[in-house]
Amino acid sequence: MRLIAAMLLAGWAGAVPALAQDRPYHLVAHDAVRAVRAGAYQGRDRGPEQTDRFSRRVKLGRDGRVSVGNVSGDIVVTGGSGDEVSIEAVKRARGDQNQLANVRIVVDDRAGRVEIRTEYDSSRSGRGNNVSVDYTITVPSGAAVEMKSVSGNVKVSGVRGAVRAESVSGNVTTSDTPKVEAAKSVSGNVTLSGIQNDGDLSASSVSGTVSAKSVKAHALDIGSVSGDLVVTDVTCERLNAKSVSGGFEYVGSIARGGVYDVNLHSGTVRFVLANPPGFELTANTFSGSIRSDLPLTIGGDRDSGSGGRPRGINRQTMRATFGDGSAMLTLRTFSGDIVIAKR
Amino acid sequence: MHPNEDALNAFADGTLPAAEAADIERHVAACVSCRQTVDDLREMLRAASELELREPPVRAWSRIERAIRLEQQGGARSVLGDAADADARPKGSRSDSARPGVATAARSRAALIWLGAAATLVLATMVGLRYAPARQAASPPPLGATAQAPAGDAAQSVESELRQAEAHYENAIKGLEQIANAEQNALDPRTAATLQKNLAVIDQAISESRAAVRSQPASDPAQQSLIENFKTKIALLQDTVALINEMRKGNEAGAARIVSGLKEKSN
Repeated sequence: MRLIAAMLLAGWAGAVPALAQDRPYHLVAHDAVRAVRAGAYQGRDRGPEQTDRFSRRVKLGRDGRVSVGNVSGDIVVTGGSGDEVSIEAVKRARGDQNQLANVRIVVDDRAGRVEIRTEYDSSRSGRGNNVSVDYTITVPSGAAVEMKSVSGNVKVSGVRGAVRAESVSGNVTTSDTPKVEAAKSVSGNVTLSGIQNDGDLSASSVSGTVSAKSVKAHALDIGSVSGDLVVTDVTCERLNAKSVSGGFEYVGSIARGGVYDVNLHSGTVRFVLANPPGFELTANTFSGSIRSDLPLTIGGDRDSGSGGRPRGINRQTMRATFGDGSAMLTLRTFSGDIVIAKR
Repeated sequence: MHPNEDALNAFADGTLPAAEAADIERHVAACVSCRQTVDDLREMLRAASELELREPPVRAWSRIERAIRLEQQGGARSVLGDAADADARPKGSRSDSARPGVATAARSRAALIWLGAAATLVLATMVGLRYAPARQAASPPPLGATAQAPAGDAAQSVESELRQAEAHYENAIKGLEQIANAEQNALDPRTAATLQKNLAVIDQAISESRAAVRSQPASDPAQQSLIENFKTKIALLQDTVALINEMRKGNEAGAARIVSGLKEKSN
């Protein structure tokens, strides 16, 4: 299972270095890391809140690229009209207002690309560690956007370009953003909606729930260690879903010739299908049960119950066919149940 | 109806009972898609059979852990790097220990190399595991041949392979755990706690699967669940180490910039 592997090897391989990239020597990732390690915005209970607002507009073009790297604080990105990137940020701290000066918001503006990042000044012995920065950014709707936060929520809506959103400790939410390629978190939930992507979508969390609604993608790769996986109104040709203690629910349609692979340990696998053309099923559970509302041909014998009514099957492994048998469903759970239902 | 993936794998491995193998052989003869799959699988098996199966030596993990501990203490150089660096350093030149920025960067670099080495060792273990059964199955049979192994031998072989796989996974896990535990203070405590909690979830799953395998050694679901949970644990530990690695890379990048800045100022 490569839950956060992609994030860490492909994503995080760029995250912290990206935060450190091209900045003056006294601004180092060490302090960004230390800020998070010490607990984001740990001065929360010490004195009144101090804030400092930042505002900037940068011309990008309608199909440019925007990347945002934050250490502590939320990132909210919205697609809008026009060809400018609008950056509104609020630095927040408790107590000493001078702390705010130890944190800089850097905007690198290059041809067709805008990079926005938070930098912590290490020369002040980490005094900037209690500062968080919340970003509210509007981008041209056709822009490609990449967001990475160490401690904070990431939210994106209305962006038509390719989107990658990642947070270590925070929720990741996308809506009306059709080309999400990757959405990942370690300890937060991942919630996606309104995806229409010819390519692949990868969504994962270690401890959070991964849910996706109104999704059309070629391939869907979702996973969690302890969270549930729920995909609703989904159409995809390839599915790979894995969780250890979470359950999985797929509500939608399957494609002729599609391949769907689900692997859980203790959760229940539930497929709710609307007019499936047909599939070959390999269902495998050690101590759970296997149930289908659809009339299946099992091992060459039709096992439709009475008129295809739901019927329990007490066996560890079942191979069966429904309809034209063109798609392939391989569903495994160690101790959970496997349910195939009609929508 | 096409044979499923498991059946094609077993057919390519030559481990299917004769009757099932004959059925699949007939299908494969008439189905271009499945024939291509079987050809690909056999090519993979052939290539894998030429690999040497190696188990990472226990001492490798100890060395990695020691190197990291030394690096953390900051008072020693990399285990591997000392001699080579001493040889390479011009006589009379100032040692790195007199230049804190350089020493920090060098130590960070050394630790990264070790962490990288750990990941490579685990990867090698995984490759070895994937192909271990193929090697034991001898060379794959030609398309027209069928498997002749008695069922009892096959069951024993599977059990033996499973135990061997468990041992490999456990070694890999032990090594990664040493690294992750030694370096966990590089992570935000909440993130570290989340990762620990989820590793415990996987441990529980491994424990349940293992008990199932012991009670029903021939159960496919039990076997698959055990191996899958081992893979999940290794993946999460690799991710943990990679996250630590990236945090350290951030430090190294900062240290390198400090050195670069000092040089710029002195010029």
